[in-house]
Amino acid sequence: MPNATDFLLHAQNADGGWGYRVGGMSCVEPTAAVLLALTDPNARARGRDFILSSQNADGGWGIAALDSESGWMTAWAVRALADFADARAAVTRGAQWLVAAEGIRVTDPDARKLVFQVDKIDSTLRGWAWQPGDAAWVHPTALAILALVAAGQREHARVRDGVEYLYDRACPDGGWNIGNPWMLGRKIPATIQDTAVALLALRAAGVTSDERRVTKAIEYLRRAVAQARTPAELAWGICALRDWRVDTGDAPSRLNASQSADGSWNGNPFITAAAMLALKP
Amino acid sequence: MREKKSLISNLQSPISRRAFLRLALLTGIATGAGVIYKATEVVGFERWFRWMARGNRARLFAPNARVALAACAAYDADVLAAARAVWQNATMPDLRGARVVIKPNLVDFVGDLPCFTHPRIAQAMIQLARESGAREIIVAEGTTFRRDPQAILDATGYAAMLAHEQIAFVDLNYDDLVEIPLRGGYTRLKTLFVAKTIRDADVLISLPKMKTHHWADISASVKNLFGVVPGIKYGWPKNTLHIQGIPAFLAELADSLQTRACAVVDGIVGLQGDGPLFGSAVPSGIIVAGTDLLAVDATCARLMGFDPAQIGYLDFAAWAGIGAIDAGKIELAGEPLARFQRQYERPPQMG
Repeated sequence: MPNATDFLLHAQNADGGWGYRVGGMSCVEPTAAVLLALTDPNARARGRDFILSSQNADGGWGIAALDSESGWMTAWAVRALADFADARAAVTRGAQWLVAAEGIRVTDPDARKLVFQVDKIDSTLRGWAWQPGDAAWVHPTALAILALVAAGQREHARVRDGVEYLYDRACPDGGWNIGNPWMLGRKIPATIQDTAVALLALRAAGVTSDERRVTKAIEYLRRAVAQARTPAELAWGICALRDWRVDTGDAPSRLNASQSADGSWNGNPFITAAAMLALKP
Repeated sequence: MREKKSLISNLQSPISRRAFLRLALLTGIATGAGVIYKATEVVGFERWFRWMARGNRARLFAPNARVALAACAAYDADVLAAARAVWQNATMPDLRGARVVIKPNLVDFVGDLPCFTHPRIAQAMIQLARESGAREIIVAEGTTFRRDPQAILDATGYAAMLAHEQIAFVDLNYDDLVEIPLRGGYTRLKTLFVAKTIRDADVLISLPKMKTHHWADISASVKNLFGVVPGIKYGWPKNTLHIQGIPAFLAELADSLQTRACAVVDGIVGLQGDGPLFGSAVPSGIIVAGTDLLAVDATCARLMGFDPAQIGYLDFAAWAGIGAIDAGKIELAGEPLARFQRQYERPPQMG
């Protein structure tokens, strides 16, 4: 995909980072995703430097240089920098921030019971939040697991906690959504992107396909990807199914067909990076 | 013994009427001050007093808010004509030369439930803005439950409509960000990141669906503003902001957005019961518009058969003087409200 690479090289901002559109503000997430997809050494070095320069004093990362409050994008930064031998110190500090961070938990028995009545979830479990002061959610929890594993901490207790958290938030019909499998007695359906990232995290954490919730999630994802039409859904779905060695059917060719003339997917560096990862030979 | 008797006699001697009244007044003031101090301890007396004073000033001296209603029986009727009627009757902003951002509610799609603003009314607003001479028209939303809005745009018909109208969609969850000060002080947040597209708009048209909501009681033009805060900062479903307290945060949003905002509400078919996603359709045949978002929402509450004073965020924000909800402070124009009033089923958590 030379033109996808060209698009990403063209989309790199002067500060070395990438935004969610060409010319958009550089953010940690799209920059980290592009670093995972791109091989050009010069662009990668500049991207790495952007992420390193955005690290907050507490070791974590906000969404961009303007955000001094560290949050969920720390996981992306750690995951991407883990591939750079010269970024080890930053990775260690980032991983420490992740280990110390957790979403708000409800431990009071009465309040816990109330939360269970509404959402049918165990609110005492440890996961990761989008930002400090929030409860834990599926997406940031899965990303944090991926980051800690990349940082060499697969056996850390927080990774195991994260896996338990994901099991608890699995949707009754398979897969994951933002983290509410139920709401006031109603099943809330899974989504492709949340399911994909959760499956990637569980695989990285060493979970096998014997696990019932994984089997159901893969089955959900296989069906959903077969009908998916958007580049983001196709890309994330393919990444997860490939990771679990599941046949992706004609999804890669549909993803290929949705590439724009400029080499991008939706003109978005983040989605383009995800598509490149999905279509990587 | 005699001395003791004399002392008791002095103590029991009646005080003058004037002294008694003074004492009662002082006791009353002290008790009242104590009660107010205790009751306002959480937010601080100064803030409470500022909000209370502004609210009273608004109730006593602010001009009436104007809210317009227009009948529109169905989405295949002449929605543009109805939109023109409310726009004119509600004395809405002049759009000539303006950068206009239309913000529908695209919370998600669930089968054929009318939980989102119908694309036909968004299309009518685009056409209205175009014929009014808007310099630039953008449709923008930051969805709540899905990181990828494309499936929602496809499933709701927005993708086709926007392509037909050749109008750009901006995903506010991934927009460039600006940090704005929160001037109300109703929550613990001092600042808020919002999408730059919203900050740079000359006119923001909140274009919600009229519906009930299991956490906010109702969802209309103010709740719809949740979509202007970016997911990349506050996550999906932007729960940090709910944690601040829904009435307080909605008041903060209504008070602190520096963009000139107005509202047009899709009440052609509303949603009752377990909103914002589930519940059931209620054909209501109405479009509501105004520049005072609280007055618009209060009118929607009445159209749905609820007392606005019983809706937490409306009651709080009106008390703090952010807008009007009293029927006596809202001047209605266009169709008579009573003709379109329905009794919507209450959401499960509503008191």
